Amino acid sequence: MQFWALIVDSFRESRDRKIFWVMLGLSVLVAAAMFCFSFEQGKVNVLFGMWVIETDYFTGITGIKTDVIAALVVDGIMDTALGGMGVLLSIIATASFFPTFLDRGAIDVVLCKPMPRWKLFLGRYVGGMVFIGVQATIFVVLTFLVVGLRWGVWLPGYLLAIPLVVLLFSYLYCISALVAVVTRSTIAAVLLTMLAWMAFTGIQAVDDLFPVMFPGWQENKLMYEGVRTARWIVPKTQDITYLAKKWSRAANASVLMNADNDDEREMIEHASKIERERLAISPLAIIGSSLLFEAVIVLFAMWRFARTDY
Amino acid sequence: MVALTEMTNWAVDLIDVRKTYAKNIYALRGVNIQVGRGEIFGLLGPNGAGKTTLVKIMMTVVRPTRALGTILGRPLGHRGKLARTGYLPENHRFPGYLTGLQLLDYYAALAKVPSATRRRNARRLLDQLGLSQWGDVRIDKYSKGMMQRLGIAQALMNDPELIVLDEPTDGLDPVGRRDVRQLLVDLRREGKTVFLNSHLLSELEMVCDRVAILVNGLVARQGTLSELTEHTVEYRITFSGDAQPLKNKLAGLHAAVDGDMVILSGHDAAKVNAVIDLLRGQGILIESVQPHRFSLEDILVEAMAATVPQHQSRDRQGADYPNPERKRRVRW
Repeated sequence: MQFWALIVDSFRESRDRKIFWVMLGLSVLVAAAMFCFSFEQGKVNVLFGMWVIETDYFTGITGIKTDVIAALVVDGIMDTALGGMGVLLSIIATASFFPTFLDRGAIDVVLCKPMPRWKLFLGRYVGGMVFIGVQATIFVVLTFLVVGLRWGVWLPGYLLAIPLVVLLFSYLYCISALVAVVTRSTIAAVLLTMLAWMAFTGIQAVDDLFPVMFPGWQENKLMYEGVRTARWIVPKTQDITYLAKKWSRAANASVLMNADNDDEREMIEHASKIERERLAISPLAIIGSSLLFEAVIVLFAMWRFARTDY
Repeated sequence: MVALTEMTNWAVDLIDVRKTYAKNIYALRGVNIQVGRGEIFGLLGPNGAGKTTLVKIMMTVVRPTRALGTILGRPLGHRGKLARTGYLPENHRFPGYLTGLQLLDYYAALAKVPSATRRRNARRLLDQLGLSQWGDVRIDKYSKGMMQRLGIAQALMNDPELIVLDEPTDGLDPVGRRDVRQLLVDLRREGKTVFLNSHLLSELEMVCDRVAILVNGLVARQGTLSELTEHTVEYRITFSGDAQPLKNKLAGLHAAVDGDMVILSGHDAAKVNAVIDLLRGQGILIESVQPHRFSLEDILVEAMAATVPQHQSRDRQGADYPNPERKRRVRW
């Protein structure tokens, strides 16, 4: 009863914020925009035939295939929703959840209830994830339906993006919650969470790209092993994105793309190789090690919350 | 054992409650307070005396450095008993996105009140506090007084045995204050215990059975209003004539001349008669004799004056008790 009340309250609070409706509006807009496009042999129909664009962009290697286009679109959605704009909006949207909860005058009424503080914290924490869960569900289901109904391509694995989005968000939300418990500041929560996100992405980028860009990189044992270890400790935000692509069958779509010359073909094949290598990592290892990091941060935040005078 | 402790007559029995903040700031320095079941108890004191800290410790919002005692028969900090306690904090801030009914439902759910009871109590309390038309209106549309009444309603949603109210009449107009006073009296009649923290001494005087005066983190006075005032009565004797020649004789009776009035401290009627005899013996006309009972304000001022200033007491405290936090930590 108490836990449910906290979650319902969190959802009511999120519904009251403009950013909730902005994110919802963006989801509808993306789905509507996708709905306006359809594909035929060598043609792209826009707005139900109002404009017809003739192109051979998708026909080079495979000939035009709607499922390839769908895979590419979903691939783009994954990058945007999980890797960029979506995460950014989620961080901003939820950064004030804990600071408002901990406001003087607001927290007193809650702390005097017959409920352990860890449970209060957890209720609020899950409440924040429910907010993102609702947004992710609306976005993924809408785009899933457009791809299926309009383009005739059903990608049931794409629906797994919903829990993966929530999971990816939770890796960052734990940082936001910890910063909020310590500082009670929304701005600090936003800034430090974004900084952490950039650091996580940066570590993964260095680990992926430096061996390719700098052939002698692996010989610098200290740096190389340091980055490898750091990668295993911090949440694997990039890998989650690849995992979502894999499960939605959108991964590796780039290899099917057109290549005008040998250089482009080589580039696409190289990108595809990197993706294959990433996807070879066990999902359990990717998710599990990241969850371990999250658990440590959440436990520390809970301890801090339980020990603080308000 | 539990049954025995539950049977205690004290709703609140605080023993040696201490709170030391960082940098050796002693907010509470060993507070002992007892509140009987079914009484309205008032806590008063100047700003910074530690009243709100004490209330927050009772409600587990702040952890004490050291604390013994019980609330509703269970050790201080016992979470289960919080289900039988209602609390209105000072300067509360309720979420503006909720309606009055949603707010009451939310806080009562956190207090483990069953759903059907929540619905019933919410309507009843809104009606009782004059907010029946506002139940479905968002709180950010409420005035300060309405917010305060809503705060009192949320404190009563779980039908508590003990109600702790921190400045409950803050922001209320005179009619609202009267309504709250009446509500407190009704609660007492129902057998509930009310712990009131207020700086409005006249409010406390009107409803409290017992009071405690907190000064510099210590209880300076505690007892019923009559207990606190019985030794602090003075008589004011007004007269016509010249009493200056009797100044020394009056001083011998612990009386002083102040204009056309002689002020006699204490409550000894024999001394009053002696002063009157003395005045009349000089042909002075007695116009009136009025016993003057000290108000709570007088007692508070007296208590403050009698207490060692905080910076001095801190030095003394520091010498005796370098860091109470090290002496004993309370785990909640």
